[in-house]
Amino acid sequence: MPGPTRVCLLACLALNAMPLARAAEPAPRSGLSARELLDHVDDLYRGASAHGRMSMKVVTEHWTREMKMEFWSLGKDRSLVRILEPKKEKGTATLKSGDNIWNFLPKVSRVIKVPSSMMGGSWMGSHFTNDDLVKESRMADDYDFQVTFEGARGGDEVVEITCVPKPTAVVVWGKVVVVLRRADAIPLRMDYFDEDLAPARSLVFDGVRVLGGRTMPTQMRMQPQGKPGEATEVRYEQIEFDVPLEEGLFSLRSLQR
Amino acid sequence: MSTLRIAWRNLWRNSRRTWITAAAIALNTAVLIATFGLMRGIVVDMVRQITLLSVGDAVVHAEGYRQERSFFKPIPAEVASRVLAASEAAGVRAAPRAFGFGLVSSGSKSSGAMFWGVDAAAERRAFDLPGRAAEGSFLSLPDERGGGRTYLGRPVRELVLGRKLAKTLQAGVGAEIVAVVQAGDGSLGNELFTVTGVLGGVGEEIDRSAAFIHRADFDELFVADGRVHQIALSARGALTDAEVVQRLAAAARGAELVSWRALLPAVSDMTRMFDAMMWIFALVFLLAAGLGVTNTMLMATYERIREFGVLKALGRSPWGILRDVAVEAWLLALSATAIGLVVGLAGSWYLWARGIDMSSLGGDIVVQGVTMNNVWRATLVPMDVVGPVVAMWLACVLASLYPAARAARIDPVRAMTHV
Repeated sequence: MPGPTRVCLLACLALNAMPLARAAEPAPRSGLSARELLDHVDDLYRGASAHGRMSMKVVTEHWTREMKMEFWSLGKDRSLVRILEPKKEKGTATLKSGDNIWNFLPKVSRVIKVPSSMMGGSWMGSHFTNDDLVKESRMADDYDFQVTFEGARGGDEVVEITCVPKPTAVVVWGKVVVVLRRADAIPLRMDYFDEDLAPARSLVFDGVRVLGGRTMPTQMRMQPQGKPGEATEVRYEQIEFDVPLEEGLFSLRSLQR
Repeated sequence: MSTLRIAWRNLWRNSRRTWITAAAIALNTAVLIATFGLMRGIVVDMVRQITLLSVGDAVVHAEGYRQERSFFKPIPAEVASRVLAASEAAGVRAAPRAFGFGLVSSGSKSSGAMFWGVDAAAERRAFDLPGRAAEGSFLSLPDERGGGRTYLGRPVRELVLGRKLAKTLQAGVGAEIVAVVQAGDGSLGNELFTVTGVLGGVGEEIDRSAAFIHRADFDELFVADGRVHQIALSARGALTDAEVVQRLAAAARGAELVSWRALLPAVSDMTRMFDAMMWIFALVFLLAAGLGVTNTMLMATYERIREFGVLKALGRSPWGILRDVAVEAWLLALSATAIGLVVGLAGSWYLWARGIDMSSLGGDIVVQGVTMNNVWRATLVPMDVVGPVVAMWLACVLASLYPAARAARIDPVRAMTHV
C-alpha cells in the first residue's frame, strides 16, 4: 500500500533521502499548490537519516499494551526498529530493507522474513500493517488530487485535498482525504477509504511542537473504521535528523545483535 | 397357484426368446447393483473421511465462532468440561482443540499457518488423522514423552505439518521451525519447534495450512490460558451424526453443537445429490429393460391371440387375462433378477474387495476439499440391492400392461378366426 501511510510512524522508519537543506527549510507559506502541500506532508518526517525514540500504545477490544522503541533510518528504504519495553519483548527488532521486512526474535534468537502473503498483516499487533512500513512513494506521484475544501474548520484555517489513486498505482485505497493547516501545512488528519469508497481508517495528528529542529505533529492516532474503542497511538519522544549512521547498522547481522 | 404354473409354462413356450429377454433384465439388474455399490462407495468414503479422519460426526464451537473464527471466542470453560464429561457417558469420543493463526518459518522460507493446539491422546482415540503421518509420526502421547520428546538426543517442542505447508517451507522431519504469533495478551508470541511429523494428504485445509502442536505448547505460545475453540466428536461409526447431536445437546447448552452436515453443507448436499444421480441413472436402465419386456410380451400375446379368444369365449374376464399376462411378466422379471442379483453381488463383492486403483491417475482425488481414498471401493447396503431388484419387477410388470391390455380387450369371435 504505497502512499500516504508513511506519514505516520513508519514515515520515520522509511525516511526519504531528502536534501539536507530540507530540514532547515522554513515552514511553507500559505498559497502553496496542492502538490507542494502533499510533498510537504510526505517530507515532514524525512531526512537523509534519522534516529529517535517513540512509544506506541495499542488498544483493541481484547487487550491494551504499550511499547517503547528506538528507531534508526537511512535513506528512504532502510530502517531498523528495536523494542525497549515491555520487558518480555525487549530486543525484538524489525529491519526494513527495500521491500523486505525481517523480524529478530530474541527469545528464540532467530531472524525471520515476513512472507509477502503476510505483508497486509498487523505490524507488532498494531493497527498499522507491514506494508505500511515498506512502501515508499510520494502521494503526489501515486494519486490524482484536488483541493476540495478551503476555509475555517474546527477553529483552524484548513485545506482539504482529496486524492484518488492513479489507475497505474498499486494502492489498496480507493480514496484518501488529507486535511492540513493552511498556515504551516501541518497535517491534521487523513481519512482512508476502501475500494468501494467506504471509510476504512483514519489517522489523526496531534501534539504539534518542535522536535529535532522541525515543527511537526508528535502524536498520531490510527483509528480503524467500525471498531470503536480500538486505536493505535504513536508518540515521538525524541528525534534527530541527519545523524551519521553506518550502512552496516541495517544488516541482518546487526539485527541479531 | 395354477395361474403361476400356467404363466411359467407359457414363458418356456419360446425358450430362446425368454432367455434373451431374461438375460437383458439380468444384465441390467447386475449393472445397477454394481453401480449403486460404486456410487455408494464414494458417498460412504466421503462421509468416513469426514467423520473418522478429523472433523467428526458433530462439532462444538462457541456461539458465533464459525462465522468469525475469532481466537477470542473460545467455548465457555464450563461448557467444554461438561461436553467432555458427557461424551464419555454417551459413547462418543471427544477431541478438544484450540486454533490460532500465526507465522511459521524454516530457514529462509516462511508462511502463514493455522496452529492446532491438540490433545494427542484424545486425537488418537477419536480420529484416524494421527495415523496418517507420511513422514515421522503424529504428536507423541504424554507417557511416550517422558518429560519432553527428544530429537537426535535433545529435547524439542513437537510440531506436525500439513503436507503442502511442509512443502512450502521445504521442511521435513527434524527441521527447526520458528513460530511467531499474535498472542492473546497482544504480545508477540514466539517459540522454536522441531518438525516431528509431516502428514499425508488428508484434506485441502489441513494440507495447506495446519501446524499441529501440543495444547500445552499452544497455551504458552498464544498465552491462551487453556482455551478451547472446538470439540470434535466422533462415535467411530457406532452412532449417526444426528444421534451424537441428540445425546450431547443438553451438555452443549451455552455453545453451538452441529452435525458435520451443517459444518460442511456442500459435502452433505453432494452426498444427497449422489442419491438422486443414482436413481436418474437407474431410470435409464429400467426403461431399457422395460422396453425389452414390452416387446417380448407383445410377441407372446400375439402368438396366442386365438387362445385368448377361446379363453374369453369360455368366460374369462378381461381383468383375468390382464392378470395372467402381468404375472407372466413378473415371473420373467423374478427369475431374471435372481440371476442378475447373483451376478451383481459377485461384481460388487469384487469391487469391494479389490476396488479400482485410482492412484495411477496421479495425485490425490479431492472432492469438495475432502481427500478421497486412492482405491475406489464399492459399498453394499441392503437398500441399494433391494431397490434395483424391486424397481426392476415394477418396470417389467408396468411394461407388460400394454400388451396385456391388448390381449384383454380382444373380441373372441375375431380372435378365434384370426389366422
